[in-house]
Amino acid sequence: MILALRRLAPLMWLSPAIALIGVVVLWPVVVLVQSSFQQIGGEGFVVGYNGTANYVNLFHEPDFVSVLLRTVLWVVAVVGVTVLLSLGLAQLFNQRFPGRRVTRWALIIPWAASVMMTALIFKWALDPNVGVVNVILHRIGVVRQLGSNQADWLGNPTSALIWMMGVAVFVSLPFTTYALLSGLQGISRDVYEAAAIDGATSWKSYLRVTLPLLRPAILVATLINVINVFNSFPIIWEMTRGGPGYETSTSTIYMIDLKESDVGQAAAMSVFNFLLVIVIVLVYLSTTRWKEQVG
Amino acid sequence: MDKKFARRISGAALAAAAALALAACGSSGSSGGGSGSGGTTTLKLVVADYGTGPSNASAKYWDTIVSAFEKAHPDIKVNVTSIAWTNFDSEVQTMIQNKQYPDITEGDYFSNYAQDGLLYPASDVLSNPGNLLPAFKAQGTYNGVQYGMPFTTSSRTLFYNKKLFTQAGIASAPQTWAEIQADAAKITRLGDVGFGLPLGAEEAQAESLLWMLGDGGGYQTAGKYTINSAPNVAAFTFLKGLVSAGDTEPNPGTVNRTDLWKEFADGKVGMINGSPALIPIIQSAGVLQSSDWTSVPIAGKTGPLTTTLGVCDNVAAFKPNGHAAQIKQFLDFAYQDKYQLAFDKEYDLLPATTTAAKALSTDPVFGPFLTALPNSVQYPSDTAWANVKAKVQQTIGLAVTGSPSTELSQLQQIATTAS
Repeated sequence: MILALRRLAPLMWLSPAIALIGVVVLWPVVVLVQSSFQQIGGEGFVVGYNGTANYVNLFHEPDFVSVLLRTVLWVVAVVGVTVLLSLGLAQLFNQRFPGRRVTRWALIIPWAASVMMTALIFKWALDPNVGVVNVILHRIGVVRQLGSNQADWLGNPTSALIWMMGVAVFVSLPFTTYALLSGLQGISRDVYEAAAIDGATSWKSYLRVTLPLLRPAILVATLINVINVFNSFPIIWEMTRGGPGYETSTSTIYMIDLKESDVGQAAAMSVFNFLLVIVIVLVYLSTTRWKEQVG
Repeated sequence: MDKKFARRISGAALAAAAALALAACGSSGSSGGGSGSGGTTTLKLVVADYGTGPSNASAKYWDTIVSAFEKAHPDIKVNVTSIAWTNFDSEVQTMIQNKQYPDITEGDYFSNYAQDGLLYPASDVLSNPGNLLPAFKAQGTYNGVQYGMPFTTSSRTLFYNKKLFTQAGIASAPQTWAEIQADAAKITRLGDVGFGLPLGAEEAQAESLLWMLGDGGGYQTAGKYTINSAPNVAAFTFLKGLVSAGDTEPNPGTVNRTDLWKEFADGKVGMINGSPALIPIIQSAGVLQSSDWTSVPIAGKTGPLTTTLGVCDNVAAFKPNGHAAQIKQFLDFAYQDKYQLAFDKEYDLLPATTTAAKALSTDPVFGPFLTALPNSVQYPSDTAWANVKAKVQQTIGLAVTGSPSTELSQLQQIATTAS
């Protein structure tokens, strides 16, 4: 009897966490999937079962394919550039130099500041008439006239997307750099000494020693970034609202917009997003053979 | 039309979105209120913010009414939530989707809420619904019953910067599209924006309708959506020409009305369609003197419009919290003439009740407009409009860069499916 209770003891300790995950994570997923098969109007009333109509309508939206392709581009570009820059930054912050402590602290600022705030600051800085970016570019002669097409970076879908990717990289750098930096600090000095004795140049030891040993850290940083960036919302919402039309929308922005008129179809979009993230993560994990790395 | 009248010819309440004020983000978290201990009922009043800053925020206007009302009715408390115009529709919608119902809203009203049985008919929550201006009755009516109760009304005019006109050597106000184009080109050559064309998501549906009307078009013909009608396509083809000639601000499809009005107030825009809500913005910017700008009827394809876009903002009373009696007491109180007139004075808008309109009918400024109000053109009032409006706001700006007929046909298709 007592033995049986003892066996159950861990469950007792775990139950709050399990309950929390069940209520906060699993239950919403169940409701989400359920909603995606129901007809729900803009006022949130469930009209009834809708079969797969929400999905069919979603796939037939004229902007659906372009929104998806843009989302893929957004994720690949933002995460790719973030990881590359962070590798460099982590290397830099791993060196000894005066003021290292202060600069390491300073790196936290883009992460600590509200993303919405950061997005708004960039939006104002890019104002075609009075934005500080344009005023500087005008003074040095890059922007010929303030208030012109050329100065309206956020009005043109291509340049708007590039600027917003820049902001997304900016806010993703701190976390990624810290993750890689901790990875770097975990690599033992002995390995480098051994490499040096074997005659490895610094570039070679970076490629053959640092990068392979850093792979677990890169793996985790990339995965977390992919999920974050895929679902990223405030930057695009504040800077262009996905416009003109849907030409700077990613699937998350598109889902929010759908929600105004059709909650069911918006739920279908969310389910699709959810599956897409899972697929991307699984493909990434299998190609990087994560078990050998992390396990 | 004399100048003074023209200047103040009333303007859209919708327009009052002037307060993009970030500070006004309403919370959607509080509950719908209810009967507390001691038999006190709390009403949740959700209003749009018409103010241009903290000094004339709409919360202030409502607080005056509420404190007088609470004194007279100690058993009822009223909580006021004010929301910036840009977020009003979606925040109210979110409250409703989450079943956190307000008791009363003042701002945009959609017949969908009536269709879903969420609203009290006007006759249940007003002692004298017949006093509401009859011109706007149709817009608030669903299945023959009036649910939307107009609270404030207004319309649009064409504002222009006389200083820039003189510099560009233009003698008179534009009356036709051709004159708009010629004048805009001249002002653009001075290095300023010729015509301010806000087709961004904030209020593209209003700007678009003003141009559609110019060639006799509109969103509907005889109650059916005709968004891709020939006159509408003609209007957007004209606009596309204006945009590609560089006579508007760059990328109109991404520019919001509030931002562009501020630029007009800074003296950097030659012409723009506006409402009296633009006047306080011009005054607070302090760049243009009152002799530097004026407003005239909106230019059409071959001459100025004889009708204009008439807009009313509505009060809607929500059923789910079951506060009919208390809502009625509050609305009867709030619809008193003195509060109607105070609102119009504060925001340069027009009254929505017959008695308040009568009190103003001898006013040299408002009087003539009040007689013209019954002929104004209004937005569609069917249940599809909420969806159509949201899509128009997001995508119609593409019609001035892409193909007008393709974009308008897509919107027409959405409207047909939604109705």
